[in-house]
Amino acid sequence: MSGCDVRVAGVRFAYGAREALRGVDLAIAAGEQVALIGPNGAGKTTLTRLLVALRRPTGGTVTVGDWDVAGRRPDEMAGRVGYAFQHADQQLFARSVAEDVAFGPRRLGRAAAPVTEVIGELGLADVAGLHPYDVPAPARKLVALAGVLAMEPRVLVLDEPTAGLDHAQRDRVIAALRRRAAEGVTVLAVSHDLGFVAEAADRVVVMREGRIAEDRTARELLYDREALATLGLRPPATVEIGLALQLAGAPIRSGEVVEALRGTKWKETPQ
Amino acid sequence: MTALVALEGVTFTYSGAARPALVDVSLEVAAGDVLAVAGETGAGASTLLLVATGFAPRVVGGTLTGTRRIAARRCGVVFARPWTQLTGLCATVRDEIGFGPASQGWPRERVRSAAEHAMARLRVAHLADREPAQLSGGELQRVVVAAALAMEPDVLALDDPAAELDPEAADALYDVLPAVAAAGTAILVATPDRERAARVARRAVALAAGRIVARGAAADVLGETAVAGIARAAGCPPPFPLDVPALLRRVAR
Repeated sequence: MSGCDVRVAGVRFAYGAREALRGVDLAIAAGEQVALIGPNGAGKTTLTRLLVALRRPTGGTVTVGDWDVAGRRPDEMAGRVGYAFQHADQQLFARSVAEDVAFGPRRLGRAAAPVTEVIGELGLADVAGLHPYDVPAPARKLVALAGVLAMEPRVLVLDEPTAGLDHAQRDRVIAALRRRAAEGVTVLAVSHDLGFVAEAADRVVVMREGRIAEDRTARELLYDREALATLGLRPPATVEIGLALQLAGAPIRSGEVVEALRGTKWKETPQ
Repeated sequence: MTALVALEGVTFTYSGAARPALVDVSLEVAAGDVLAVAGETGAGASTLLLVATGFAPRVVGGTLTGTRRIAARRCGVVFARPWTQLTGLCATVRDEIGFGPASQGWPRERVRSAAEHAMARLRVAHLADREPAQLSGGELQRVVVAAALAMEPDVLALDDPAAELDPEAADALYDVLPAVAAAGTAILVATPDRERAARVARRAVALAAGRIVARGAAADVLGETAVAGIARAAGCPPPFPLDVPALLRRVAR
Protein backbone atom coordinates (compact mmCIF):
# COMPACT_ATOMS: atom_id res chain seq x y z
CA MET A 1 0.00 0.00 0.00
CA SER A 2 1.78 3.13 -1.13
CA GLY A 3 1.18 6.41 0.62
CA CYS A 4 -0.30 9.60 -0.64
CA ASP A 5 0.74 13.18 -0.25
CA VAL A 6 -0.86 15.69 2.10
CA ARG A 7 -1.15 19.38 1.27
CA VAL A 8 -2.25 22.07 3.66
CA ALA A 9 -2.47 25.53 2.10
CA GLY A 10 -3.20 28.78 3.91
CA VAL A 11 -5.23 26.99 6.54
CA ARG A 12 -6.87 28.92 9.35
CA PHE A 13 -9.07 27.66 12.13
CA ALA A 14 -10.74 29.32 15.10
CA TYR A 15 -12.49 27.97 18.18
CA GLY A 16 -15.03 30.76 18.56
CA ALA A 17 -13.01 33.95 18.83
CA ARG A 18 -9.75 32.16 19.60
CA GLU A 19 -7.62 31.51 16.54
CA ALA A 20 -5.89 28.13 16.81
CA LEU A 21 -4.38 28.06 13.29
CA ARG A 22 -3.23 31.32 11.74
CA GLY A 23 -2.26 30.41 8.19
CA VAL A 24 -0.56 27.03 7.96
CA ASP A 25 1.18 25.79 4.81
CA LEU A 26 2.54 22.27 4.88
CA ALA A 27 3.33 19.81 2.12
CA ILE A 28 4.12 16.22 2.99
CA ALA A 29 5.24 13.95 0.19
CA ALA A 30 3.86 10.43 -0.17
CA GLY A 31 5.83 8.09 2.07
CA GLU A 32 7.38 10.79 4.23
CA GLN A 33 7.71 10.28 8.00
CA VAL A 34 7.01 13.60 9.69
CA ALA A 35 6.87 14.52 13.37
CA LEU A 36 4.83 17.52 14.45
CA ILE A 37 6.10 19.06 17.67
CA GLY A 38 5.59 22.27 19.62
CA PRO A 39 4.34 23.52 22.97
CA ASN A 40 0.93 22.61 24.38
CA GLY A 41 -1.75 24.68 22.71
CA ALA A 42 0.30 25.40 19.56
CA GLY A 43 -2.42 23.98 17.30
CA LYS A 44 -0.94 20.55 16.56
CA THR A 45 -4.02 18.50 17.40
CA THR A 46 -6.29 21.00 15.65
CA LEU A 47 -4.24 20.70 12.47
CA THR A 48 -4.38 16.91 12.50
CA ARG A 49 -8.16 16.96 12.94
CA LEU A 50 -8.53 19.00 9.76
CA LEU A 51 -6.75 16.25 7.83
CA VAL A 52 -9.55 13.77 8.55
CA ALA A 53 -12.48 16.20 8.30
CA LEU A 54 -13.21 16.07 12.04
CA ARG A 55 -12.97 19.86 11.86
CA ARG A 56 -13.43 22.13 8.86
CA PRO A 57 -10.94 24.94 8.29
CA THR A 58 -12.27 28.48 8.43
CA GLY A 59 -9.90 29.29 5.56
CA GLY A 60 -7.52 27.55 3.17
CA THR A 61 -7.56 24.05 1.73
CA VAL A 62 -6.52 20.56 2.76
CA THR A 63 -5.92 17.84 0.19
CA VAL A 64 -4.90 14.22 0.67
CA GLY A 65 -3.76 12.67 -2.57
CA ASP A 66 -6.41 13.62 -5.13
CA TRP A 67 -9.08 14.27 -2.50
CA ASP A 68 -10.07 17.74 -1.40
CA VAL A 69 -10.93 17.09 2.24
CA ALA A 70 -13.59 19.83 2.15
CA GLY A 71 -15.83 17.58 0.06
CA ARG A 72 -15.38 14.45 2.18
CA ARG A 73 -17.04 13.09 5.28
CA PRO A 74 -14.98 11.76 8.21
CA ASP A 75 -16.04 8.17 7.48
CA GLU A 76 -14.87 8.48 3.88
CA MET A 77 -11.57 9.93 5.04
CA ALA A 78 -11.08 6.93 7.37
CA GLY A 79 -10.53 4.69 4.34
CA ARG A 80 -7.53 6.72 3.32
CA VAL A 81 -6.23 8.45 6.44
CA GLY A 82 -5.97 6.49 9.71
CA TYR A 83 -6.32 8.73 12.73
CA ALA A 84 -5.34 7.70 16.27
CA PHE A 85 -6.64 10.11 18.89
CA GLN A 86 -4.55 11.49 21.72
CA HIS A 87 -7.07 9.92 24.09
CA ALA A 88 -7.63 6.41 22.85
CA ASP A 89 -10.77 5.95 24.92
CA GLN A 90 -12.54 8.30 22.52
CA GLN A 91 -12.32 5.72 19.77
CA LEU A 92 -13.00 2.42 21.59
CA PHE A 93 -16.53 1.10 21.82
CA ALA A 94 -16.76 -2.59 20.90
CA ARG A 95 -17.18 -5.38 23.42
CA SER A 96 -13.79 -6.93 22.88
CA VAL A 97 -10.37 -5.80 21.75
CA ALA A 98 -10.55 -8.03 18.68
CA GLU A 99 -13.99 -6.70 17.69
CA ASP A 100 -12.82 -3.16 18.15
CA VAL A 101 -9.81 -3.67 15.90
CA ALA A 102 -11.98 -5.43 13.30
CA PHE A 103 -14.66 -2.73 13.25
CA GLY A 104 -12.89 -0.28 10.91
CA PRO A 105 -11.99 -2.75 8.18
CA ARG A 106 -15.48 -4.30 8.33
CA ARG A 107 -17.06 -0.87 7.99
CA LEU A 108 -14.88 -0.30 4.93
CA GLY A 109 -15.83 -3.69 3.50
CA ARG A 110 -12.29 -5.01 3.64
CA ALA A 111 -12.71 -8.67 4.43
CA ALA A 112 -9.04 -9.50 4.01
CA ALA A 113 -7.83 -6.92 6.52
CA PRO A 114 -4.90 -8.06 8.69
CA VAL A 115 -6.79 -7.83 11.99
CA THR A 116 -5.10 -10.76 13.74
CA GLU A 117 -1.70 -9.79 12.39
CA VAL A 118 -1.97 -6.24 13.71
CA ILE A 119 -3.19 -7.46 17.11
CA GLY A 120 -0.11 -9.67 17.29
CA GLU A 121 2.19 -6.98 15.99
CA LEU A 122 1.22 -4.64 18.83
CA GLY A 123 1.44 -7.37 21.47
CA LEU A 124 -2.30 -7.52 22.14
CA ALA A 125 -2.92 -11.21 21.42
CA ASP A 126 -3.27 -12.04 25.12
CA VAL A 127 -5.96 -9.42 25.66
CA ALA A 128 -7.79 -9.80 22.34
CA GLY A 129 -10.81 -11.37 24.04
CA LEU A 130 -11.08 -8.80 26.82
CA HIS A 131 -13.32 -5.77 26.92
CA PRO A 132 -11.24 -2.76 25.84
CA TYR A 133 -11.92 -1.07 29.19
CA ASP A 134 -10.58 -4.07 31.08
CA VAL A 135 -7.09 -3.60 29.68
CA PRO A 136 -4.77 -0.97 31.23
CA ALA A 137 -5.03 2.54 29.82
CA PRO A 138 -1.71 2.45 27.92
CA ALA A 139 -2.67 -0.83 26.26
CA ARG A 140 -5.98 0.77 25.22
CA LYS A 141 -3.89 3.24 23.27
CA LEU A 142 -2.39 0.30 21.38
CA VAL A 143 -5.87 -1.13 20.77
CA ALA A 144 -6.92 2.12 19.13
CA LEU A 145 -3.73 2.17 17.07
CA ALA A 146 -4.31 -1.45 16.03
CA GLY A 147 -7.80 -0.49 14.84
CA VAL A 148 -6.26 2.20 12.68
CA LEU A 149 -3.47 0.01 11.28
CA ALA A 150 -5.95 -2.78 10.46
CA MET A 151 -7.64 -0.46 7.94
CA GLU A 152 -4.29 -0.24 6.10
CA PRO A 153 -4.58 3.48 5.49
CA ARG A 154 -2.26 5.21 3.01
CA VAL A 155 -1.69 8.01 5.48
CA LEU A 156 -1.31 7.64 9.27
CA VAL A 157 -2.04 10.60 11.50
CA LEU A 158 -1.17 9.85 15.10
CA ASP A 159 -1.66 12.18 18.05
CA GLU A 160 0.87 11.45 20.80
CA PRO A 161 1.23 7.77 19.90
CA THR A 162 3.73 7.01 22.70
CA ALA A 163 2.35 9.08 25.58
CA GLY A 164 2.01 6.92 28.68
CA LEU A 165 3.43 3.78 27.05
CA ASP A 166 6.09 1.70 28.74
CA HIS A 167 9.36 0.91 26.98
CA ALA A 168 8.25 -2.36 25.44
CA GLN A 169 5.02 -0.85 24.10
CA ARG A 170 6.87 2.17 22.77
CA ASP A 171 9.29 -0.10 20.92
CA ARG A 172 6.38 -1.97 19.36
CA VAL A 173 4.85 1.26 18.11
CA ILE A 174 8.17 2.38 16.65
CA ALA A 175 8.65 -0.99 14.93
CA ALA A 176 5.10 -0.92 13.54
CA LEU A 177 5.63 2.58 12.13
CA ARG A 178 8.95 1.59 10.58
CA ARG A 179 7.25 -1.31 8.84
CA ARG A 180 4.58 1.04 7.45
CA ALA A 181 7.31 3.47 6.41
CA ALA A 182 9.07 0.70 4.50
CA GLU A 183 5.77 0.05 2.68
CA GLY A 184 5.62 3.70 1.68
CA VAL A 185 2.84 4.81 4.02
CA THR A 186 2.86 8.53 4.85
CA VAL A 187 3.08 9.25 8.57
CA LEU A 188 2.38 12.44 10.50
CA ALA A 189 2.84 12.01 14.26
CA VAL A 190 2.26 14.66 16.90
CA SER A 191 4.69 14.02 19.74
CA HIS A 192 6.50 15.55 22.67
CA ASP A 193 8.71 12.52 22.92
CA LEU A 194 11.92 13.48 21.12
CA GLY A 195 13.29 9.98 21.66
CA PHE A 196 10.36 8.68 19.64
CA VAL A 197 10.81 11.43 17.04
CA ALA A 198 14.45 10.40 16.64
CA GLU A 199 13.48 6.78 16.10
CA ALA A 200 10.48 7.25 13.83
CA ALA A 201 10.69 10.52 11.89
CA ASP A 202 12.85 11.84 9.07
CA ARG A 203 11.50 15.35 9.16
CA VAL A 204 10.32 17.54 12.03
CA VAL A 205 7.79 20.35 11.76
CA VAL A 206 7.59 22.68 14.74
CA MET A 207 4.38 24.57 15.46
CA ARG A 208 4.04 27.59 17.66
CA GLU A 209 0.99 29.77 18.27
CA GLY A 210 -0.92 28.43 15.33
CA ARG A 211 1.89 28.72 12.81
CA ILE A 212 4.75 26.62 11.53
CA ALA A 213 7.93 27.87 13.18
CA GLU A 214 10.49 25.37 11.85
CA ASP A 215 10.59 22.64 9.25
CA ARG A 216 13.82 20.64 9.06
CA THR A 217 15.21 17.15 8.81
CA ALA A 218 15.14 15.28 12.12
CA ARG A 219 18.91 14.83 12.06
CA GLU A 220 19.54 18.52 11.57
CA LEU A 221 17.10 19.75 14.19
CA LEU A 222 17.96 17.19 16.88
CA TYR A 223 21.65 18.09 16.61
CA ASP A 224 20.92 21.81 16.80
CA ARG A 225 21.12 22.34 20.56
CA GLU A 226 20.37 26.06 20.28
CA ALA A 227 17.27 25.61 18.15
CA LEU A 228 16.02 22.98 20.59
CA ALA A 229 16.75 25.23 23.58
CA THR A 230 14.68 28.06 22.13
CA LEU A 231 11.82 25.54 21.94
CA GLY A 232 12.44 24.55 25.57
CA LEU A 233 13.67 21.14 24.41
CA ARG A 234 16.74 19.07 25.13
CA PRO A 235 18.22 16.60 22.65
CA PRO A 236 17.12 12.98 23.13
CA ALA A 237 19.51 10.58 24.87
CA THR A 238 20.83 9.24 21.56
CA VAL A 239 21.87 12.72 20.43
CA GLU A 240 23.33 13.57 23.87
CA ILE A 241 25.56 10.53 23.46
CA GLY A 242 26.40 11.43 19.86
CA LEU A 243 27.36 14.96 20.87
CA ALA A 244 29.32 13.99 23.98
CA LEU A 245 31.30 11.25 22.24
CA GLN A 246 31.51 13.12 18.92
CA LEU A 247 30.20 10.11 17.06
CA ALA A 248 30.50 10.24 13.29
CA GLY A 249 27.44 10.59 11.09
CA ALA A 250 25.23 12.40 13.61
CA PRO A 251 23.35 9.28 14.72
CA ILE A 252 19.82 9.89 16.07
CA ARG A 253 18.35 6.38 16.28
CA SER A 254 19.48 4.11 19.08
CA GLY A 255 20.48 1.47 16.53
CA GLU A 256 22.70 4.03 14.80
CA VAL A 257 24.30 5.01 18.12
CA VAL A 258 24.88 1.39 19.11
CA GLU A 259 26.43 0.79 15.68
CA ALA A 260 28.71 3.81 16.14
CA LEU A 261 29.70 2.63 19.62
CA ARG A 262 30.46 -0.95 18.62
CA GLY A 263 34.16 -1.52 18.75
CA THR A 264 34.50 1.20 21.36
CA LYS A 265 37.09 0.36 24.02
CA TRP A 266 35.51 0.69 27.45
CA LYS A 267 37.31 1.41 30.67
CA GLU A 268 36.51 -1.33 33.14
CA THR A 269 36.86 1.05 36.08
CA PRO A 270 33.54 1.86 37.69
CA GLN A 271 32.14 5.37 37.59
CA MET B 1 8.00 11.78 60.44
CA THR B 2 4.85 9.73 60.87
CA ALA B 3 3.54 7.92 57.86
CA LEU B 4 0.46 9.38 56.19
CA VAL B 5 -0.03 6.14 54.30
CA ALA B 6 1.09 2.76 55.60
CA LEU B 7 0.44 -0.48 53.74
CA GLU B 8 1.36 -3.81 55.27
CA GLY B 9 0.95 -7.03 53.33
CA VAL B 10 -1.76 -5.48 51.18
CA THR B 11 -3.29 -7.58 48.43
CA PHE B 12 -5.95 -6.02 46.22
CA THR B 13 -8.17 -7.69 43.63
CA TYR B 14 -10.56 -5.88 41.28
CA SER B 15 -14.10 -7.24 41.19
CA GLY B 16 -14.33 -10.12 38.76
CA ALA B 17 -10.57 -10.27 38.15
CA ALA B 18 -8.93 -13.68 38.15
CA ARG B 19 -5.69 -12.46 39.70
CA PRO B 20 -4.94 -9.76 42.26
CA ALA B 21 -3.60 -6.47 40.89
CA LEU B 22 -1.43 -5.96 43.99
CA VAL B 23 0.15 -8.77 45.97
CA ASP B 24 1.58 -8.48 49.49
CA VAL B 25 2.59 -4.85 49.15
CA SER B 26 4.12 -3.07 52.13
CA LEU B 27 5.27 0.53 52.11
CA GLU B 28 5.06 3.79 54.01
CA VAL B 29 4.83 7.33 52.70
CA ALA B 30 5.32 10.25 55.07
CA ALA B 31 4.70 13.97 54.79
CA GLY B 32 7.53 15.44 52.73
CA ASP B 33 8.16 12.23 50.80
CA VAL B 34 8.15 11.95 47.03
CA LEU B 35 7.89 8.27 46.18
CA ALA B 36 8.28 7.20 42.56
CA VAL B 37 6.37 4.09 41.48
CA ALA B 38 7.85 2.34 38.47
CA GLY B 39 6.60 -0.65 36.55
CA GLU B 40 5.69 -1.70 33.05
CA THR B 41 2.04 -1.45 32.01
CA GLY B 42 -0.15 -3.76 34.05
CA ALA B 43 2.41 -4.07 36.85
CA GLY B 44 0.02 -2.45 39.31
CA ALA B 45 1.40 1.09 39.63
CA SER B 46 -1.95 2.80 38.95
CA THR B 47 -3.69 0.40 41.32
CA LEU B 48 -1.15 1.15 44.03
CA LEU B 49 -2.00 4.85 43.76
CA LEU B 50 -5.72 4.11 44.10
CA VAL B 51 -5.13 1.86 47.10
CA ALA B 52 -2.74 4.29 48.81
CA THR B 53 -5.25 7.13 48.53
CA GLY B 54 -8.27 5.09 49.60
CA PHE B 55 -10.03 5.22 46.20
CA ALA B 56 -9.73 1.44 45.95
CA PRO B 57 -11.80 -0.34 46.96
CA ARG B 58 -14.06 2.50 48.28
CA VAL B 59 -14.78 4.02 44.85
CA VAL B 60 -13.71 1.42 42.30
CA GLY B 61 -14.81 -1.72 44.17
CA GLY B 62 -12.76 -4.85 44.69
CA THR B 63 -11.33 -6.63 47.72
CA LEU B 64 -8.47 -5.52 49.92
CA THR B 65 -6.73 -7.73 52.46
CA GLY B 66 -3.85 -6.84 54.75
CA THR B 67 -3.47 -3.67 56.77
CA ARG B 68 -3.85 -0.17 55.42
CA ARG B 69 -3.68 3.01 57.45
CA ILE B 70 -4.34 6.36 55.81
CA ALA B 71 -3.80 9.25 58.23
CA ALA B 72 -4.74 12.02 55.81
CA ARG B 73 -7.68 14.41 55.82
CA ARG B 74 -7.62 14.82 52.06
CA CYS B 75 -6.14 12.63 49.35
CA GLY B 76 -5.83 13.89 45.79
CA VAL B 77 -5.49 11.69 42.73
CA VAL B 78 -4.66 12.75 39.21
CA PHE B 79 -5.59 9.98 36.82
CA ALA B 80 -3.67 9.13 33.71
CA ARG B 81 -6.55 10.42 31.58
CA PRO B 82 -7.13 13.97 32.83
CA TRP B 83 -10.18 14.70 30.71
CA THR B 84 -12.17 12.16 32.69
CA GLN B 85 -11.58 14.31 35.75
CA LEU B 86 -13.20 17.56 34.66
CA THR B 87 -16.30 18.51 36.61
CA GLY B 88 -18.20 19.41 33.44
CA LEU B 89 -19.84 22.14 35.51
CA CYS B 90 -17.39 25.01 35.19
CA ALA B 91 -17.24 27.57 32.39
CA THR B 92 -13.70 28.71 33.14
CA VAL B 93 -10.43 27.13 34.19
CA ARG B 94 -10.40 29.40 37.26
CA ASP B 95 -13.75 27.99 38.41
CA GLU B 96 -12.69 24.44 37.56
CA ILE B 97 -9.62 24.72 39.78
CA GLY B 98 -11.64 26.41 42.53
CA PHE B 99 -14.40 23.79 42.39
CA GLY B 100 -12.72 21.33 44.77
CA PRO B 101 -11.80 23.95 47.38
CA ALA B 102 -15.28 25.50 47.15
CA SER B 103 -16.93 22.11 47.66
CA GLN B 104 -14.93 21.82 50.88
CA GLY B 105 -16.89 24.80 52.14
CA TRP B 106 -13.79 26.98 52.36
CA PRO B 107 -14.33 30.75 52.61
CA ARG B 108 -14.46 32.53 49.26
CA GLU B 109 -11.12 34.26 49.79
CA ARG B 110 -9.36 31.00 50.60
CA VAL B 111 -10.86 29.32 47.53
CA ARG B 112 -9.66 32.19 45.39
CA SER B 113 -6.14 32.20 46.78
CA ALA B 114 -5.81 28.39 46.63
CA ALA B 115 -6.85 28.45 42.96
CA GLU B 116 -4.55 31.37 42.07
CA HIS B 117 -1.62 29.75 43.86
CA ALA B 118 -2.17 26.41 42.14
CA MET B 119 -2.51 28.07 38.72
CA ALA B 120 0.74 29.97 39.24
CA ARG B 121 2.56 26.81 40.30
CA LEU B 122 1.47 24.86 37.22
CA ARG B 123 1.92 27.91 34.96
CA VAL B 124 -1.66 27.91 33.77
CA ALA B 125 -2.62 31.42 34.97
CA HIS B 126 -2.86 32.51 31.32
CA LEU B 127 -5.61 29.93 30.79
CA ALA B 128 -7.74 31.13 33.74
CA ASP B 129 -10.59 32.51 31.61
CA ARG B 130 -10.60 29.72 29.01
CA GLU B 131 -13.28 27.08 28.82
CA PRO B 132 -11.93 23.75 30.18
CA ALA B 133 -13.51 21.73 27.36
CA GLN B 134 -11.58 23.76 24.77
CA LEU B 135 -8.11 23.22 26.21
CA SER B 136 -5.51 21.13 24.42
CA GLY B 137 -4.55 17.80 25.97
CA GLY B 138 -1.41 19.16 27.59
CA GLU B 139 -3.09 22.30 28.90
CA LEU B 140 -5.84 20.17 30.36
CA GLN B 141 -3.41 17.89 32.12
CA ARG B 142 -1.76 20.84 33.87
CA VAL B 143 -5.16 22.26 34.84
CA VAL B 144 -6.21 18.95 36.39
CA VAL B 145 -2.96 18.75 38.39
CA ALA B 146 -3.51 22.35 39.51
CA ALA B 147 -7.05 21.44 40.59
CA ALA B 148 -5.69 18.59 42.69
CA LEU B 149 -3.07 20.87 44.27
CA ALA B 150 -5.64 23.56 45.04
CA MET B 151 -7.33 21.11 47.42
CA GLU B 152 -4.15 21.17 49.52
CA PRO B 153 -4.13 17.38 49.84
CA ASP B 154 -2.11 15.63 52.53
CA VAL B 155 -1.50 12.80 50.11
CA LEU B 156 -1.23 13.42 46.38
CA ALA B 157 -1.06 10.57 43.88
CA LEU B 158 -0.11 11.43 40.30
CA ASP B 159 -0.52 8.86 37.55
CA ASP B 160 1.85 9.70 34.71
CA PRO B 161 1.13 13.42 35.19
CA ALA B 162 3.31 14.61 32.32
CA ALA B 163 2.22 12.09 29.69
CA GLU B 164 0.78 14.77 27.42
CA LEU B 165 2.97 17.69 28.34
CA ASP B 166 5.60 19.30 26.19
CA PRO B 167 9.06 18.82 27.70
CA GLU B 168 9.22 22.30 29.17
CA ALA B 169 5.85 21.89 30.88
CA ALA B 170 6.82 18.40 32.03
CA ASP B 171 9.98 19.76 33.64
CA ALA B 172 7.98 22.55 35.27
CA LEU B 173 5.49 20.07 36.68
CA TYR B 174 8.14 17.79 38.13
CA ASP B 175 10.07 20.76 39.50
CA VAL B 176 7.00 21.80 41.53
CA LEU B 177 6.76 18.47 43.36
CA PRO B 178 9.66 18.82 45.85
CA ALA B 179 8.26 22.15 47.08
CA VAL B 180 4.76 20.71 47.44
CA ALA B 181 6.20 17.79 49.41
CA ALA B 182 8.33 20.09 51.55
CA ALA B 183 5.16 21.92 52.58
CA GLY B 184 3.92 18.69 54.17
CA THR B 185 2.32 16.63 51.39
CA ALA B 186 3.15 12.99 50.77
CA ILE B 187 3.46 12.44 47.02
CA LEU B 188 3.32 9.22 45.03
CA VAL B 189 4.08 9.50 41.35
CA ALA B 190 3.74 6.64 38.89
CA THR B 191 5.43 7.20 35.56
CA PRO B 192 7.38 5.52 32.80
CA ASP B 193 9.50 8.71 32.68
CA ARG B 194 12.33 7.43 34.83
CA GLU B 195 14.65 10.32 34.11
CA ARG B 196 12.30 12.97 35.47
CA ALA B 197 11.07 10.79 38.34
CA ALA B 198 14.64 10.18 39.49
CA ARG B 199 15.19 13.94 39.61
CA VAL B 200 12.45 14.65 42.14
CA ALA B 201 11.87 11.44 44.08
CA ARG B 202 14.02 10.41 46.99
CA ARG B 203 12.74 6.87 47.12
CA ALA B 204 11.22 4.56 44.56
CA VAL B 205 9.55 1.19 44.33
CA ALA B 206 9.35 -0.93 41.21
CA LEU B 207 6.40 -3.23 40.66
CA ALA B 208 6.09 -6.33 38.52
CA ALA B 209 2.92 -8.41 38.34
CA GLY B 210 1.54 -6.59 41.38
CA ARG B 211 4.53 -7.21 43.65
CA ILE B 212 7.21 -4.82 44.78
CA VAL B 213 10.36 -6.20 43.14
CA ALA B 214 12.75 -3.38 44.01
CA ARG B 215 12.78 -0.56 46.51
CA GLY B 216 15.35 1.97 47.63
CA ALA B 217 16.94 5.21 46.57
CA ALA B 218 15.23 6.52 43.44
CA ALA B 219 18.49 6.79 41.50
CA ASP B 220 19.11 3.07 42.00
CA VAL B 221 15.61 1.72 41.43
CA LEU B 222 14.96 3.93 38.40
CA GLY B 223 18.44 3.42 36.99
CA GLU B 224 17.69 1.86 33.62
CA THR B 225 17.74 5.04 31.55
CA ALA B 226 17.80 5.32 27.78
CA VAL B 227 21.52 6.05 27.94
CA ALA B 228 22.19 2.93 29.98
CA GLY B 229 20.13 0.84 27.56
CA ILE B 230 22.16 2.04 24.59
CA ALA B 231 25.44 1.55 26.43
CA ARG B 232 24.46 -1.98 27.37
CA ALA B 233 23.53 -2.79 23.76
CA ALA B 234 26.88 -1.44 22.60
CA GLY B 235 28.75 -3.75 24.96
CA CYS B 236 29.70 -1.33 27.71
CA PRO B 237 30.42 -3.38 30.85
CA PRO B 238 28.39 -2.86 34.03
CA PRO B 239 27.83 -1.34 36.54
CA PHE B 240 24.74 0.50 35.43
CA PRO B 241 22.93 2.95 35.67
CA LEU B 242 24.77 5.33 33.43
CA ASP B 243 24.22 8.90 32.33
CA VAL B 244 25.98 10.69 29.50
CA PRO B 245 28.85 12.14 31.59
CA ALA B 246 29.41 8.72 33.15
CA LEU B 247 29.44 7.13 29.71
CA LEU B 248 31.95 9.71 28.52
CA ARG B 249 34.27 8.88 31.43
CA ARG B 250 34.20 5.23 30.50
CA VAL B 251 35.27 5.57 26.89
CA ALA B 252 38.97 4.80 26.64
CA ARG B 253 40.57 7.52 24.58
